[in-house]
Amino acid sequence: MHGMTSYFIRRLLLVPVTFICITLLVYTVIRLAPGGPIEQAKQQMRAAAASEGGAGGSSAMGDTGTLELPQEAIDQLKAYYKLDKPIVVGYLIWLGAWPDEAKGGKFSGIIQLDFGKSYRYSDSVLTTIASKFPISIYFGLIGYFATWLVCVPLGIQKALRHRSMFDTGTSLVVFIGYSIPDFVAALLLMLLFATPMLGPQFELFPLGGFRSENWDDMWAKGETWWCIRDQIHHTFIPVVAYIMGGFATMTILMKNSLLDNLGADYVRTAFAKGLGERRVVFIHALRNSMIPLCVGIGHAIGLIFAGSFLIEKTCNIQGMGLLGFNSLIGRDYPVIMGVLVFGVLIRLFGNIFSDMILAVVDPRVRFR
Amino acid sequence: MSDAAGRKKLLEVKNLKTYFDVEEQTAKAVDGVSFHIYANEVFGIVGESGSGKSVTSLSVMRLIPNPPGRIEDGEILFEGKDLLKLPYAEMRKIRGNEISMIFQEPMTALNPVFTIGFQLREAIRQHTPGMSKAQANVRAAEMLSLVGIPDAERRLKNYPHEFSGGMRQRAMIAMALALEPKLLIADEPTTALDVTIQAQILELMMSVREKTGDASILLITHDLAVVAETCERVAVMYGGKIQEIASVEDLFREPLHPYTQGLLLSLPRPDREKRRRLDTIPGIVPSILDMPSGCKFATRCPLEELQCEEKEPELREVLPGRFCRCHLVDGVARATVGSGAWGNGR
Repeated sequence: MHGMTSYFIRRLLLVPVTFICITLLVYTVIRLAPGGPIEQAKQQMRAAAASEGGAGGSSAMGDTGTLELPQEAIDQLKAYYKLDKPIVVGYLIWLGAWPDEAKGGKFSGIIQLDFGKSYRYSDSVLTTIASKFPISIYFGLIGYFATWLVCVPLGIQKALRHRSMFDTGTSLVVFIGYSIPDFVAALLLMLLFATPMLGPQFELFPLGGFRSENWDDMWAKGETWWCIRDQIHHTFIPVVAYIMGGFATMTILMKNSLLDNLGADYVRTAFAKGLGERRVVFIHALRNSMIPLCVGIGHAIGLIFAGSFLIEKTCNIQGMGLLGFNSLIGRDYPVIMGVLVFGVLIRLFGNIFSDMILAVVDPRVRFR
Repeated sequence: MSDAAGRKKLLEVKNLKTYFDVEEQTAKAVDGVSFHIYANEVFGIVGESGSGKSVTSLSVMRLIPNPPGRIEDGEILFEGKDLLKLPYAEMRKIRGNEISMIFQEPMTALNPVFTIGFQLREAIRQHTPGMSKAQANVRAAEMLSLVGIPDAERRLKNYPHEFSGGMRQRAMIAMALALEPKLLIADEPTTALDVTIQAQILELMMSVREKTGDASILLITHDLAVVAETCERVAVMYGGKIQEIASVEDLFREPLHPYTQGLLLSLPRPDREKRRRLDTIPGIVPSILDMPSGCKFATRCPLEELQCEEKEPELREVLPGRFCRCHLVDGVARATVGSGAWGNGR
């Protein structure tokens, strides 16, 4: 056990090192990538000038090429975005390990929990992320648990009735689900069950959104049941779309793993002891077949946080996936880096957590 | 129940047929096997891989995986009850309690994710209603020290991977004998072990059995030396059928069936002339899906005659207590296979 404790302590000590490597790499890449804030500012100016020119009706087209930001404005912007400093210095300021002149020489970065301000919305990055994060966690966790709740029993039944009609039929359904991209599934479900296409009695769910607009009012009025019903209504279609992809993998993994274990020697030993079929399957074989499923937990934790941009887009949910995507398009560096910080930390700790779970389910696993 | 000599028959297998469906064909793994085991007797079944000896033992426990396997016909009388006609719930009460089993692979026969103690207690409590976990633990520790594992109390908390192969087989023996069964089926219990451990485990199995109710043992092996050391009587299997049954002394002194003779000639023996290559039985066991219609051994037998190919011989009592399935063998005239008859070995 001491070997294990020291292993996990070492893993935890590696977290900051990995964290710095990843964030430095991403910081460097986005600093070097074209289309930074200066160019965006220039473009905005041009666009503004063009629309003014258009309103004036004159031939200002020739002027737009020469329209430039004054040099001192560019310098100001560069200083504001720390583009006048070397990449490493800029990174260290962001990290909070280098004094920031703009803030009177104070250390103010990630370490001090100062994530900076969004370029696009003048909100702080932390506030922006905090408003999206719970939404992604909500859908991610529900989706993940729903996957387990459906896939584990289904996989077990498929293994026990291997090659029966039930097995073949569910395999067909599972693989159809697997072949449909999740956002298409979301669209399809909305088309079928959120519009009167099949008739008004099938218009069961709302067309996207996280909650109804008057949710907060209803909550304030104490209409708890209405609120819960409304929330479930809005949750159903996105969650089904979320789990459809991982569904096939997990069900088949569960089935094959259990099938393998049912043929194992120790199962025969268990039967030879006079144990009942239920005990042999659900205590002996099942415990062993859960091991491969637990290996995936670390990866899944990362996905839960990341959200799915496409589903969020189709279902009109303001989650992390959409936030990350929009900030990339808008070159909103502080938000990109902020999303990255959360993503990296959750994945790093998720992997350690996943290894811990593995060590618990499989006594043969011993980390040194 | 008892024979002429008045010995009580504990297990009587009559005309057992266990078939496997393999891609439209039927593999007759065990095809009409009959034998009996007396109370407190050690009975051996020897044979090559694929001769049907393991399938016979699994049939007794009704542990044949179905599909593809099925017990087609026969009776397995245990203390007069036909196990094959028993309701499943009744059979479960016999498994691990009155008949228990040790398997070949100690590395995989124990569940890797549960402790040795968990698996021992589980076996004990399954057949002892009302026994507490603590009581079962005491019994488990007792059994573990009986099979020679020191510091048993602490060792119960170990997982199988923390035990060596020999220790796992000891734990299996402890588990099998904890409930003082009447019959212990040992299916190649030493095959997977180091040669140095094999003798220890055999000796242990015999001595622990004496201390726990003197169970009869059905020992399945391909190792004639193991048979010679432990068994009273032995059946030789080939091609899913018993070819010869005899007491161990008779079998080694005077093997009747040409197959048995071949097996014994292929053993290294210090009393025979040295610096000589061992005799072997030429050829291989015919595929289980393509057995000869006459004598199963005809394809490899040096004494083979026309009738052998055409007609399958019956298992006959050729001498008192000695059964042999060969056209050329009866009580009076016996065919013998000389060392040179196999056409090799010089």
